[in-house]
Amino acid sequence: MSASHDKQLGLMSSLAAIAGAQALYGVSPAWAEGAAHSPIHQFEINNLIPLKLFGFDASFTNASLYMVLALSLISFFLISAMRQGALVPGRMQSLAELTYKFVHDTVRENVGEEGMHFFPFVFALFIFVLVLNVLGMIPIPGVTFTVTSQIVVTAALALLVILIVIGYGLYVHGLGFFKLFVPSGVPAWLLPLLIPIEVISFISRPISLSVRLFANMLAGHIALKIFAGFVGTLLAAGVWAILSPLPMALTVALTALEVLVAVLQAYVFAVLTCIYLSDAVHGAH
Amino acid sequence: MAASNTPPASGSGDGHGDMTPEEREAFKKRADELGKRLEAAKNQGSSAPKPGAVASDTAANNDALGKAMRISTELIGGVVVGCGLGWLIDRALGTWPAFFIVCFLLGSAAGMINVVRAGTAMKTGASNPKAGPSVRDDDDET
Repeated sequence: MSASHDKQLGLMSSLAAIAGAQALYGVSPAWAEGAAHSPIHQFEINNLIPLKLFGFDASFTNASLYMVLALSLISFFLISAMRQGALVPGRMQSLAELTYKFVHDTVRENVGEEGMHFFPFVFALFIFVLVLNVLGMIPIPGVTFTVTSQIVVTAALALLVILIVIGYGLYVHGLGFFKLFVPSGVPAWLLPLLIPIEVISFISRPISLSVRLFANMLAGHIALKIFAGFVGTLLAAGVWAILSPLPMALTVALTALEVLVAVLQAYVFAVLTCIYLSDAVHGAH
Repeated sequence: MAASNTPPASGSGDGHGDMTPEEREAFKKRADELGKRLEAAKNQGSSAPKPGAVASDTAANNDALGKAMRISTELIGGVVVGCGLGWLIDRALGTWPAFFIVCFLLGSAAGMINVVRAGTAMKTGASNPKAGPSVRDDDDET
């Protein structure tokens, strides 16, 4: 009983610490100058190592840095956790196995046994998005960057998913894959109307997939920064400083919500990937 | 050691192999039961909500939240794609705003269909291990 209480206390204090860092970020005069104070400054992309390849700007940016960081964290975590391969797993191994099993079950439930060869793809997507989302929640003033708040990144991932769906669907079902667009059990005279609707519905998939992730991360981080900014503004406004605990409390609550959203969005992304893949695997009936 | 986990009710258990008939019977029963449970576990994957009902409850909650998040963008996706498509066709053919209007309506319909489909898939699918596509499962069930 006391152990769970301790755990809750620990959780609360770590949330408060994150929120505090966010607020501090708003208060601190070094960051308060100019654009750094703006709630959307956190989404700015900075070139760390300028690089031009074939006339394209292929600079190493802070987004690239965070992706490399995420990849090395994932690799380190999985490799070091599974190196022993003990029959009775330790903490890290247990964590890795739980993650594996979770995604494994998600794929099996949504795609079915025939789609299990997509498991590595879905697992990679899930853990990549998850780690990027969570890394974005760790506040390091001036550095923190949420890669998944960039629609370029989420759109690229969604396009990858949908291209794989189309490619695999065509590979397995041939042109019969396009029967996906022809609803069965519908009178023929309705088809000219329904086929365009189905096509639009299909095209909207990658768009809603990418916009969902991007919008959630963007909106959440902006809200967080705005409320954290209120703390600083109130503290600097004389008597009104009395009110500053209010936005501070809200920032703590929002931080909790954002952690939830970060994990949930990765899960939603993985589940939808599975559902779309299931269309490719099973085709139209 | 090998026989140490048989009930010590009848006799010594000093070696393996010499079990009394009733011990043998009990052992066989247990083995059968274990086999059945293994089979069941294999069949239904692991969605058995056995270990800790609390954990599966929060999981269900998170799942519901995920579904809510999912539906919220389905409608917008259809409308946006419809409008974009119509605008592109109009720009290519110079027929503004004919196709834009038509495609806007089609896109809205597609958005509604997306939402309905996501909703029905959530109601029927998920727990169904062979969950087919989220659409048109009216003819493969008999």
